[in-house]
Amino acid sequence: MDITVFIIGVTALIGLYMAWNIGANDVANSMADAVGSKALSIKQAVILAGICEFAGAVLVGSHVTDTVRKGIVDPSIIVNLPGLREGEAAAIIVIGMAAALLCAAIWLNIATLIGMPVSTTHSIVGAVAGFGIVAAGVEAVNWTKMSQIVASWFISPLVGGVCAFILFKFISAKILGRTRPARAAIIYTPAIVFLLIFVVCLATIYKGLKHVIGNIPWLTDDVSLVIAVGLALFSALVSRFYVKAKLQNKRDLPISQQLEAVESVFVPLVIISSCSVAFAHGANDVANAVGPFAAIVNILQTGDVAMKVGVPTWVLCLGGGGIVLGLASYGHKVMTTVGTKITEITPSRGVAADIAATATVLICTRMALPVSTTHTLVGAIMGIGLARGFGGIDRDVTRNIFGSWFITVPIAALLSIILFVIGRALFLDVLIGVLAP
Amino acid sequence: MTIIGDLLGNSPIGQLVDHARKVHECVELIKPMIEALIAEDWEWLNELHDRVAKTEYEADKLKHDIRDNLPRRYFLPVNREELDGFLQCQEKMADYAEDFSVIATIRKTKLHEDLHEKFMAFVTQVFQVSGTLLTAAVEFKNLAEVSFSGAEARMVLGLINNLGVEEWQADKLGRQLSIAIYELENKVSTIDIIFYEKMLLKLSAIANEAENAGDFLRAMLRK
Repeated sequence: MDITVFIIGVTALIGLYMAWNIGANDVANSMADAVGSKALSIKQAVILAGICEFAGAVLVGSHVTDTVRKGIVDPSIIVNLPGLREGEAAAIIVIGMAAALLCAAIWLNIATLIGMPVSTTHSIVGAVAGFGIVAAGVEAVNWTKMSQIVASWFISPLVGGVCAFILFKFISAKILGRTRPARAAIIYTPAIVFLLIFVVCLATIYKGLKHVIGNIPWLTDDVSLVIAVGLALFSALVSRFYVKAKLQNKRDLPISQQLEAVESVFVPLVIISSCSVAFAHGANDVANAVGPFAAIVNILQTGDVAMKVGVPTWVLCLGGGGIVLGLASYGHKVMTTVGTKITEITPSRGVAADIAATATVLICTRMALPVSTTHTLVGAIMGIGLARGFGGIDRDVTRNIFGSWFITVPIAALLSIILFVIGRALFLDVLIGVLAP
Repeated sequence: MTIIGDLLGNSPIGQLVDHARKVHECVELIKPMIEALIAEDWEWLNELHDRVAKTEYEADKLKHDIRDNLPRRYFLPVNREELDGFLQCQEKMADYAEDFSVIATIRKTKLHEDLHEKFMAFVTQVFQVSGTLLTAAVEFKNLAEVSFSGAEARMVLGLINNLGVEEWQADKLGRQLSIAIYELENKVSTIDIIFYEKMLLKLSAIANEAENAGDFLRAMLRK
């Protein structure tokens, strides 16, 4: 029994380290739009990001966990491998998941050190695939699923970019570029509020509430949709009064002052939308840290390889806690850099990018595709750049991001294979001893 | 690591305005130089020359930064060639201002008193052209915030049209100055006349380049 506790403890530490990494390096990006546009101070952003990430991780977190673990490598294939001793399959999966987790954390650390924008999601997917190849052969990896996942990495920034492009074009053509921007804002801002609240509501109700409260029979997809539309309509209505009250007496000011007033109207929106990105980020990325850990705990406790593992709330809390810890201990420094470095994002640009990113991540998560939140947001930022929203974007960083999509999976897979082989040589017999009844 | 911060990096639009400011600073120093010439205060003149040279050097450094940055950027909000053209015109303006200061300090050229007023008028007009260009460039940066559309854009286009008119007026003043210079044919030495003419040409060139820069600015807006 002692060895079980030991293994759980060690993997929990690796998972926590992974979560720390996410919190330290990634979270600041999800709040970049609110901090960059000076809607929030650094301190406020850190606190809000912590709350949203944790809530996202705990409330919505479990959905993607299964995909990473099971979608890529079907555990039943390993269980049914010929010539295995009793308990060997379970032991292999325990070692494999631990190796994958460690490998992703190490690769993430290396990438951060050399300044490569690598996604945690991409790393863990590659690592799990690498384990699958060695443990059960190339056929064990579900390549259809794998190619879907990898394709989604290219598609999600693209979709995010297109959405952001259209949204920002709309904002700049209908509001910012008008002869009387304040007047135009009174008319068109509610439409943006509607879209924002609709997306945020769907992201939360749809899955979050269901997950926490359990399956509410009447809360079907259709009903959720209706609720989201209703809330969005209501918010749009409220926003109309708010915007009107704020801009009514600004309508005859010089254009530059009108524009300033219009941007100030977008401030609460960019705060809400950035929080929703942080929420989605927490929901999405916590799986990378605790997914493999949950699998290990489950196997060790039951001694059996289940087809589907529920992730206990305490495990999600551990992941969420790790993310917050990373944010508090190191992430705030990154947040400061973001706040001082990004001067070009205005609240209106931030809202456009955030809505696009949240919607894209929401759709991908619904389709059980683990995409990178940060990279989707990067795609959205690029979309706004294409809409003449920024003074261009950096070529080298763009290349690095694209490059990381290509090399992360092979490298993570290779690293995971090495770690798995070492782990198997050292711990297989010990584990079989524990797991075999 | 801040992917998004790195991605946006250093916007060339802001750098461009900083560069335009430096260039205008160079042009700004020509007026006191004429004053020094009139006062025949050679020491002050040399001092001004040093300042122009230093400012031009600073402008050059900014230009190099932009040049290094530009090829490293995707999705520029404006046409790359036009941005480059604008930068080149600006660079020439600073160069010509420095050339002027060199010509003014090579020898102790005395400005004949018949020319004082006309030189001042011409320089003031050139300064005006350069100032309008700077205003347009600063507005251009504000324009980047509304992604180059609508009412603000029309205002900047208006400024650029003014630039054309002002340059035309500078040309007129330049021609009058030119006539005045050759009327001194037998009153001052030929070398003096050559130097007056040299100064005049550099000043005209500054106004000219300012107008060209304005044209590039207009083209960028119309993308």
